[in-house]
Amino acid sequence: MAGRDITDERQFELSGTESFGESDWITGLHPMDVLLRGERLPHIWCQGCGLGTALTTFIGALQWLEKNQGWDLDKVSVVSGIGCTGRIAGYIRLDSFHTTHGRAIPFATGLKLANPELKVVVISGDGDIAGIGGNHFIHAARRNLDITVICVNNFNYGMTGGQVGPTTPHAARAVTTQYGNFEYPFNLPYLAAASGASFLARWTVIHARRLEWTLREAMMYPGYSFVEVIAPCSTSYARWNPEGRGLDPEKLRRRGLELMKHYQAIGKVAHGTHPKDAAIKVNKEGAIIEIVEGVFSDEPKPDFQTAIDEQVQIAKGRWQATQKALSERSQIPKRTDIIRRTEVQLGGFGGQGIVSAGRIIGQAATIYDKLEACFTQSYGPEARGGAAGSQVVIASDPIHHPHLIEPTNAIIMSQEAYAKYVPKLATGATLLIDDGLVTLPEERRQDLKTYGIPATQIAEELGNSRAANTVMLGLWTAIIGAVSKSAMQRSVADAVPPKTVEVNLNAFEAGFNKGLHDQGSNAV
Amino acid sequence: MQPMRSHEGLLIGEHFLLGDYAAAEGAIMAGCRFFAGYPITPATEVAERMSTRLPQVGGIYIQMEDELASMNAILGASWSGAKSMTATSGPGFSLMMENLGLGIMLETPCVLVNVQRGGPSTGLPTLVGQQDMMQARWGSHGDYEIIALSPNSPQELFDLTIRAFNLAEKFRIPVLVMTDAEVGHMTERVIIPPPEEIELIQRPLVRKGDVDPDHFRIYRDPESGDDGDVSPMAIAGEGFRFHVTGLTHDERGYPAMNAEASEWNIKRLVKKIRLHRDEIIQLEERHLEDAEIIVVSYGISARTSLWPIEQAQKEGIRIGYLRLITVWPFPEERIRALAKNIRAFVVPEINDGQILREVERCAAGQAQVIGVNRLGGDILEPQQVLSALRAAAGKPDTAEADMS
Repeated sequence: MAGRDITDERQFELSGTESFGESDWITGLHPMDVLLRGERLPHIWCQGCGLGTALTTFIGALQWLEKNQGWDLDKVSVVSGIGCTGRIAGYIRLDSFHTTHGRAIPFATGLKLANPELKVVVISGDGDIAGIGGNHFIHAARRNLDITVICVNNFNYGMTGGQVGPTTPHAARAVTTQYGNFEYPFNLPYLAAASGASFLARWTVIHARRLEWTLREAMMYPGYSFVEVIAPCSTSYARWNPEGRGLDPEKLRRRGLELMKHYQAIGKVAHGTHPKDAAIKVNKEGAIIEIVEGVFSDEPKPDFQTAIDEQVQIAKGRWQATQKALSERSQIPKRTDIIRRTEVQLGGFGGQGIVSAGRIIGQAATIYDKLEACFTQSYGPEARGGAAGSQVVIASDPIHHPHLIEPTNAIIMSQEAYAKYVPKLATGATLLIDDGLVTLPEERRQDLKTYGIPATQIAEELGNSRAANTVMLGLWTAIIGAVSKSAMQRSVADAVPPKTVEVNLNAFEAGFNKGLHDQGSNAV
Repeated sequence: MQPMRSHEGLLIGEHFLLGDYAAAEGAIMAGCRFFAGYPITPATEVAERMSTRLPQVGGIYIQMEDELASMNAILGASWSGAKSMTATSGPGFSLMMENLGLGIMLETPCVLVNVQRGGPSTGLPTLVGQQDMMQARWGSHGDYEIIALSPNSPQELFDLTIRAFNLAEKFRIPVLVMTDAEVGHMTERVIIPPPEEIELIQRPLVRKGDVDPDHFRIYRDPESGDDGDVSPMAIAGEGFRFHVTGLTHDERGYPAMNAEASEWNIKRLVKKIRLHRDEIIQLEERHLEDAEIIVVSYGISARTSLWPIEQAQKEGIRIGYLRLITVWPFPEERIRALAKNIRAFVVPEINDGQILREVERCAAGQAQVIGVNRLGGDILEPQQVLSALRAAAGKPDTAEADMS
């Protein structure tokens, strides 16, 4: 990138006429007055502050865009955070949002995404954008959302009285680093570049015209654009540091001016500089001795909005498929018999479809049999280590307590689940096991009615071992009778992948027939 | 953003739906077309559902870098005219407090779903709690009123999320749906009526051409003006060139740094809710007429109290049931009135007694107030509540309960 100077050429094109608005000799209106909230002036900024220039160049760029690019300024929103720069939102006569400290960028993100027609500009200070809002700054750059971020950097927290900040040069003094800053600052364009920003620039406010050109370009840029504006803090930063010290402390406004002159002297315009080489240089005393300026990078990247629009098309296609499946959902007559509270515990290991099996029962009960059902699954440490558990409560009446209190039956598909859940079953409960995977221990509860089926083996024989849970569901349906067979069949068909509906329904049938056969006799 | 109400992509009918998904479907039915969030158990499924469903209805889902950003993004989207929502749980709720305050101050309609888990701090990520109820009321700094709803089932998560949007729009305020891990992670039948049967409220809004921008005031005194109590809102891009700020401000939205402005500002923020308390507060009441004991509860704890209540009634204890569907604003007058005629309030909740304090405040010593508490991790055991009811009635805690 070094040495490339096409930007200057473009800046020439963007320079246009320098006189924009119409001044009015009768009212004495300044051409920029239309974009200022005159009733809010005078502003709060100190004499010698660079923010007036930053605002002027910003307004100049907007008026140029209005005049030369046909921008409707009603569609421009300005968002700022907290601090001296943050006050710009309150002085500019556009839709403007003065948000919380550091949060201008996410606020702007919502504003822009919800109405892509808007041109959204974030303008805020270095503490706001790179300190408290640093995380938002890098993530917005990563997304390449089409907003412009202008960070006015005065090397310290000015509004609160000159504390050290994320951009304070090493060894420089601030109110809270009276012995010199022992930390190192961000190089903001480099940070933005590393985060994925595609348009990067820096100017000091003394280079006002260049800055204005760059602001035009940044706002026109299709993607995330970042402009760092170096501005003097005449009251705070200049008081403590070599560039400002040595000036007559009585003359505050001079201090700012002297600082600007200093920036002019040490500013080095070098478009196309690699951002890593654009760090602000200081001497041992922390005095700034070189500021590289220019447009460092403008490499267009895929636009965020376009990516979102593409997603919408895919999503709408999927919706058509979902809707079709739902519209084909058949209905069966509502169950009229009374089902007392039935509590089902399902247990096994991960991958057996224990959670799906529970949900299939619940869906069959509610959607097809029109019963009440409440399905929950085990989360957290309990669900780790390969163990899987889910629970369903079924009843004709509303279910007040969603958890199992006295499980009336259980589907158990692993030895671990057997050990875990069987002791908790209600007296006289019905236990259904995959007896190919679960071995009943010598000493076991004699009160339980236990039925076994080699579910996994049957499913394998049918051609899909993953249908083992469906075999268990068939058995459960026949033995327990809380949910109708037709409801269960429909629910199974809803839940499994379309290509496996047949094998699952066969698996269900196998389990169901075994259940019918075993019913009334304790098989195990 | 959505001038016409399109029915394309809306899910209707009966579904066996996860609570978190029901919140997402409620939001979409309410017209929510912008969701910004950050993954957090047990609220993640709200975001997951939104990420699939919003693009299907032409909306925007974005996962932000944290909950600070999520809350801000939904505020920004709301100022672009979108109905917007986020969902989180305890740790994220704490981060959202900063900009919940901004939302209140700017008078921004939006909805925040908190699927509560056990705290404090990282606490119990996967397990239930109701420990953010006071944070919901007072979590952001400064004086304000807030609206918080508490659903007790996936169906109510659907219904109350729609209501939350309606209240948010009507009163220009962020509304909290304070659910919990139990309800959020529970799957039950959810009946979604066709959109024609659902009443939706849109924010009071001025559009381009309605008012001369020079005379437009983004905030007005709640007791002045014919349009009602809530100032009409403008949205970005309509030419009003308005300004809003988190600073104390005047009717133009301009910073106003003095005591009078602060009084004007805060009074507006609290009055617009307090004056409409009757409309906002929704309660479910059973058997209050001749009750000697009244159970005051909300969300899952109210629901799990129903069986113990029925049981105690069978034992001859006269028990009433008052469920706070709206938790904030608190039904102060109702509790105050009931306190005069009863022996005790029993307040089951999954925390160390948060709403209990409100009940105590309103009972003002006229009735005993007894907490039944579980400190996160699980819902209340029916037996624990039943024992408390017996104790409140002065009866011995004997009979082993029979769930059937």
